[in-house]
Amino acid sequence: MSMLSVRDLVVTYATRAGPVRAVDGVDLDIPAGSITGLVGESGCGKSTLGRALMGVLPEAGKIAGGQIVFEGADLVALSPTARRAIAWRRLSFIPQTAMNALDPVQRLRAQMLEVLVERGGLGKAEALARASELFHLVGLDPIRLSDYPHQFSGGMRQRASIALALALEPALVIADEPVTALDVIVQRQVLDVMRNLQARLGLAMILVTHDIAVVAYACDRVAVMYAGRIVEAGPVADVLENPLHPYTMGLTHAFPDLYGDDMTLVPIDGTPPSLLHPPAGCRFAARCPFVQPRCADEPPVMTGDHQAACWRVDEAAELRALAATPATWLPK
Amino acid sequence: MTALIDATGLEKIFRSRGRDVAAVADVSLSVGAGEALGIVGESGCGKTTTARMLLRLEDPTAGRIIFDGTDITTLRGAALLKFRAQAQLVFQNPFDALNPRFTIRRALAEPLNNFGVPVSEHAERIDAVLHRVRLTPPAAWLDRRPHELSGGQLQRVVLARALIPGPKLIVADEPVSMLDVSVRAGILNLLREARDALGLAAVYISHDLALIRYVCERTMVMYLGRVVEEGPTKELIAKPAHPYTRALVAAVPVPHVTQDRAQLPIRGSLSDAASVGGCAFRGRCPHAMKICTDQAPPLRSITPTRQVACHLEGAML
Ligand SMILES: Nc1ncnc2c1ncn2[C@@H]1O[C@H](COP(=O)(O)OP(=O)(O)OP(=O)(O)O)[C@@H](O)[C@H]1O
Ligand SMILES: Nc1ncnc2c1ncn2[C@@H]1O[C@H](COP(=O)(O)OP(=O)(O)OP(=O)(O)O)[C@@H](O)[C@H]1O
Ligand code: SF4
Ligand code: SF4
Ligand SMILES: [Mg+2]
Ligand SMILES: [Mg+2]
Repeated sequence: MSMLSVRDLVVTYATRAGPVRAVDGVDLDIPAGSITGLVGESGCGKSTLGRALMGVLPEAGKIAGGQIVFEGADLVALSPTARRAIAWRRLSFIPQTAMNALDPVQRLRAQMLEVLVERGGLGKAEALARASELFHLVGLDPIRLSDYPHQFSGGMRQRASIALALALEPALVIADEPVTALDVIVQRQVLDVMRNLQARLGLAMILVTHDIAVVAYACDRVAVMYAGRIVEAGPVADVLENPLHPYTMGLTHAFPDLYGDDMTLVPIDGTPPSLLHPPAGCRFAARCPFVQPRCADEPPVMTGDHQAACWRVDEAAELRALAATPATWLPK
Repeated sequence: MTALIDATGLEKIFRSRGRDVAAVADVSLSVGAGEALGIVGESGCGKTTTARMLLRLEDPTAGRIIFDGTDITTLRGAALLKFRAQAQLVFQNPFDALNPRFTIRRALAEPLNNFGVPVSEHAERIDAVLHRVRLTPPAAWLDRRPHELSGGQLQRVVLARALIPGPKLIVADEPVSMLDVSVRAGILNLLREARDALGLAAVYISHDLALIRYVCERTMVMYLGRVVEEGPTKELIAKPAHPYTRALVAAVPVPHVTQDRAQLPIRGSLSDAASVGGCAFRGRCPHAMKICTDQAPPLRSITPTRQVACHLEGAML
């Protein structure tokens, strides 16, 4: 059973040029106790989706349709107060700029207490003990609770953000690019902290990233987003080793690998379409080497556990063989 | 082969809040024409400072740089300008590197003006360089401004700007870290092609070894301002000789489900680093011995092509 089921979610931003459909018909299922990677290129709507799930969209953004069913309740249909009550207790969001989102003029202890006492309703002594425990959990010395954020390195700040996000024992953590700004050793340490916590506390996690190697390292499942939609989703092993969608196939060849003899990197020519006036059919059609006439007319849909929104999903094995040839991706 | 650029004993000490910070200490390197050297290491280890000294954007506090047979360590005036045309930087962030009000034509003419290239040659050189970075037909791009280009297209313009003065050396500091994966590959391929076609010497900086492997035959690993290991990139990845390199290699995730998830062979973080005397890595090294506290290991050759600064000299391989 899914802990979270998103159905046909649409999120728009009001802009002078008209509504930007940043999330445009997303279906997504998050099983309890799993880490799901959400990947896709810049501007495809990853942060918008994460924020919509948490109910923290910026002012210009609004949910224009669809459902977010979390533990049986549709968050979209709830009153703001009822929704916040669930979001604060059961969900947690680590924003893309978490490293810099800590309050620079407050010691970490005060920031932890604020969450634990004011939102969590703990007594002061209890909250202090819990804060130490949380720091310990993310691999920080509890002594450092009396430090200010600037006394921490980037990786330590990221760990502190994770400790804050876990303070109220959420069931689902949405982490937006938690390791992107970190160098590889610190990135690995933070990912390990997240993996261990996930396993020990049994929580579910959505890890937003644009790095498929990070997904391969840390996630159980992956959803690939393109131009406001999920185009492929499934268990990591299936999606990365046997991609069904041409965009996913392209990504796997564009990615540098530390090992292996294949020293060609193949770019995906072109850029994603504007979300102001998204194309009617498949959104990847303008860049897809396997495009057919019907692709431009009608949007393909997804079905099944490992699924992809592509008209040619039945031919995926042949397309994968073609996709492995660099010439396939040459600009037309 | 004589190197195009040969730096010996580079050192940079910054004075910050009344304290001296040795950002780079005793770094030597050389790069030949047509060769690419990668510099990798943790954030703050001195990669950018080293690159800026090579380009004379920062004056070294000690050391010497020979470029194409000339000592450029203290060049000034016209001689420095001539050097600048021959040694170009590719910026990390294409969104900051270009003036948003200038057309692509103007962005490319500017370096030509700066280096005194006659106006009569401009059109031809701009046309050629746009072909080189695959912004074709050039006429379709010349009158555009940065906001009309995608990140990958902008980075091509940034690369074109670096190539247009006809440099012999290019230094690229995290040239694709701001770009999407789907377009990174295109830029890396262009960098590789430009180097091969023009016989450029290149220095690439990144903390991503996977990426460095695609463009650099040789790699130098820095830790706290010093070179701890140097050698052919593939050998260094397959058999790292320095304990720090080992951790760095182990930390790189690979895009496959089957991969090593064992605990990294490193302790603590940069801030736990031991300071005075001895090996700077000893506070984090799983192999630290008594001698590591007493003596700093010098950079020594362990094979004809590899060097390492560790008392174990790669013995744990
Ligand atoms: N406040 C806003 N007002 C208008 N448009 C916005 C706003 N925030 C985001 N957008 C647009 O919505 C789309 C999705 O943005 P979003 O930040 O969700 O993408 P993302 O996948 O997280 O990208 P990145 O990888 O760069 O973080 C983009 O086209 C973006 O320009
Ligand atoms: N202008 C400066 N004044 C004082 N200290 C400086 C200055 N520039 C760099 N430093 C310090 O020198 C050291 C090396 O910095 P450098 O920018 O060369 O590192 P880097 O390896 O490029 O790191 P990154 O991967 O984060 O870009 C750091 O400790 C940095 O704080
Ligand atoms: S639906 Fe058509 S255009 Fe879209 S990814 Fe599949 S083959 Fe390509
Ligand atoms: S010299 Fe000693 S402390 Fe330094 S890297 Fe080698 S074994 Fe480790
Ligand atoms: Mg984002
Ligand atoms: Mg740098």
